[in-house]
Amino acid sequence: MQAAADTRRECWKCRAERGAALVCSRCAAIQPLSADADLFTVLDLPRQLTLDLADLERRYHAASRAVHPDRFQTASRRERELSLAASAAVNRAYRTLRDPVARGRYWLELHGARLGDGSPQVPPAIAAEVFETQEKLEELRAAARPDLRREVEALRDGFTGRLSALRDELGALYASANGGAPSLDELKRRLSEIAYLRTLLGDIEDATGEGLRGTDHRH
Amino acid sequence: MGRIIGIDLGTTNSLVAVLEEGGPRVLPDPETGAALLPSAVAFLPGGEVIVGARAKALAGERPLDTILSVKRFMGLGLEHVSAEDRRRYRFAGGGGVVRLVVEGREVTPPEVSAHILRELKRWAEAALGEAVGQAVITVPAYFNDSQRQATRDAGRLAGLEVLRLVNEPTAASLAYGLDKQDEGVIAVYDLGGGTFDISVLRLRAGVFEVLATSGDTHLGGDDFDERLADLVLAELPEAERSRADVRARARAAAEHVKRTLSDAERAEIVLGPARRAVTRAEFEALVKDLVERTAGPCRQALKDAGLRPEDIRCVVAVGGSTRVPLVRRQMEAIFGRPPLTDIDPDRVVALGAGIQAGILSGRRRDMLLLDVVPLSLGIETMGGVFTRLVDRNTTIPTSVKETFTTAVDNQTAVDIHVLQGERELASDTRSLARFKIPICPLPAGVPRVEVTFLIDANGILSVTAADLRTGHERSVEVKPSYGLSEAEIERMLEDSIDYAEEDVRQRQVREARVEADMILHATRESLAREARLLADGEGERIRTAVAALEQARAGEDYLAIRDAVETLGKETEPFARRIMDRSLTEALANRRLEEL
Repeated sequence: MQAAADTRRECWKCRAERGAALVCSRCAAIQPLSADADLFTVLDLPRQLTLDLADLERRYHAASRAVHPDRFQTASRRERELSLAASAAVNRAYRTLRDPVARGRYWLELHGARLGDGSPQVPPAIAAEVFETQEKLEELRAAARPDLRREVEALRDGFTGRLSALRDELGALYASANGGAPSLDELKRRLSEIAYLRTLLGDIEDATGEGLRGTDHRH
Repeated sequence: MGRIIGIDLGTTNSLVAVLEEGGPRVLPDPETGAALLPSAVAFLPGGEVIVGARAKALAGERPLDTILSVKRFMGLGLEHVSAEDRRRYRFAGGGGVVRLVVEGREVTPPEVSAHILRELKRWAEAALGEAVGQAVITVPAYFNDSQRQATRDAGRLAGLEVLRLVNEPTAASLAYGLDKQDEGVIAVYDLGGGTFDISVLRLRAGVFEVLATSGDTHLGGDDFDERLADLVLAELPEAERSRADVRARARAAAEHVKRTLSDAERAEIVLGPARRAVTRAEFEALVKDLVERTAGPCRQALKDAGLRPEDIRCVVAVGGSTRVPLVRRQMEAIFGRPPLTDIDPDRVVALGAGIQAGILSGRRRDMLLLDVVPLSLGIETMGGVFTRLVDRNTTIPTSVKETFTTAVDNQTAVDIHVLQGERELASDTRSLARFKIPICPLPAGVPRVEVTFLIDANGILSVTAADLRTGHERSVEVKPSYGLSEAEIERMLEDSIDYAEEDVRQRQVREARVEADMILHATRESLAREARLLADGEGERIRTAVAALEQARAGEDYLAIRDAVETLGKETEPFARRIMDRSLTEALANRRLEEL
């Protein structure tokens, strides 16, 4: 999937042809990332939404071994800088690609589409439950009644189940596209619903005091 | 270049280790053979500084000028120092980095830590027989950017190039992983003297990948001591209770009793005439809430890693405080299995630091650490909101780019306030630094400055800026909120050049003489004023030891001077105890009279 121009690049250190690889296959020097390199290229993967997670992890570990700053402690300043940049890119690629939701969002970005920056619309399928939850959260904030809390928790469990089902469906959607990709609109619709549920679950957590935020600022 | 050393710069004790053919090895004190250097720094009259066990022994006599847990203050401002710590030491006023006042001068925590690092460097050089200039230093995983910077500054001030800061639990996992060749997910529970960390890691084919970390940088065994000390202090009248020397002695007695209670069912805290019997059950009730505070971060780390307790293959106990039976039970309650304790919890972090030093020097290429940033990082945006740029538990190194513009016409600079924490409001997070990026004056909203935040493998942030309109790199003027500026470090380094170039032996002779003068002076005073408290023949024995010390002091052998100081110390100890006991006994008697 690499652009043809990439394959003619030379290694800056030994002048061997090195293609689009992160490190030179002859002298193992880290190569500067080209401006057009995407996160799939960083881990030498074809640009597609389906991927094998075990294979992804193997690639991540292999790439980390090749470029991590620990390996370049005694190298020249230029090589240390390249190592830092390459290592950051490898980490970002793995973090984004291993999660189907982050991968989907990145896919949209690659294709010039974005999820709205504002708060996502209520997905019609769950509008009734959302409305009920928000009312109960309002009440719960006013008075911490145990019965209310139980009701909210039951609703929360429902949303959590739905979220994990949506994630599974996303995986299935990627796989069924069979190397191609689903339409951007379809992807956008599903990712919006997931984003909505995540925000909602975060609000529930805050209101029920399940969040453990703030342990770091005792002083 | 010499060997790279690995340093565990602990709250209570510090150690140094290297990786050798057979594995990592802790390097001992060349004089005493001790492996642990108490993290104590005593500032003496005349500008002398002593470090370690001899400094710790001075804490009772010179509580304000002997800094015992300087790590608690690293990277903080005065407003972050607890009320108890404010009573314990003297602090200079003013904003920015904390400044301790010792022997009439101000020192910053990195300067105090640098004394500890210099001593460890000396130990390593003596053991290795060569100069050492590069080090790996461990820090609590939950240390924020300021605390990490402060640790790196301390290394620089000690004449060490700090090649890497490694998180303590991660270092410990290296020592365990090397031994066991394990695969799977492990949790490292690290409760030290002053800090608590929990890290969840996946080990696979030599890669140690941190999945999540959490903790509390102000929770540790010191807090247990404090609670126990309060028990015996409650036996004394108010006026005596708040005396710094009495409190320091109470803490030392409490620490001893805490250790005893890990094996024994009961013990007695003795502070002069005041005695307080404590059972293990009472101790446990006393510190229960502190120990339970470790559960929250553990659950948070598991949740962030997307795991349940049953997914954890083993739990590793690190830090001296995990010797407390209640702490072990807490670990078992959280993770559903007893912790692994087969490597000495006091040494395991240093051994791991030694291994990481070996990895950096290329001696071990089979192992690789992938660590994370412990706290989210971001900037202050309109309305005092904290806008996250890097989420906590993101693998490092990592980088993020953000584009900024101006709100007012003809602005010549953009100000950026960098914050770290998990809360929504900027005022609830920790301020790290402010950056000023100069720009060309243009109408509002026109300039486009791209700022890159790069977090390196030490978890330390650096910032670069580029003007997208001109393509020029912009210099970024960094003002750390609670750190030392580059100029301050340069000045401190210049001040310490004399110190560094001076012959080590000469310095040790001078230090030993100051120590000798201190004890000689105190002994003469006591003999003159409190002669009636002397036991039979005691005065004669003390005078003999005084004469021996005076003779040693006139010579050039610092070890002989130290020995004579120690002998005199032993001879005068019961006498000194009687003097202190008497003042406390009188105070106790007065209180009883009042109570009648």
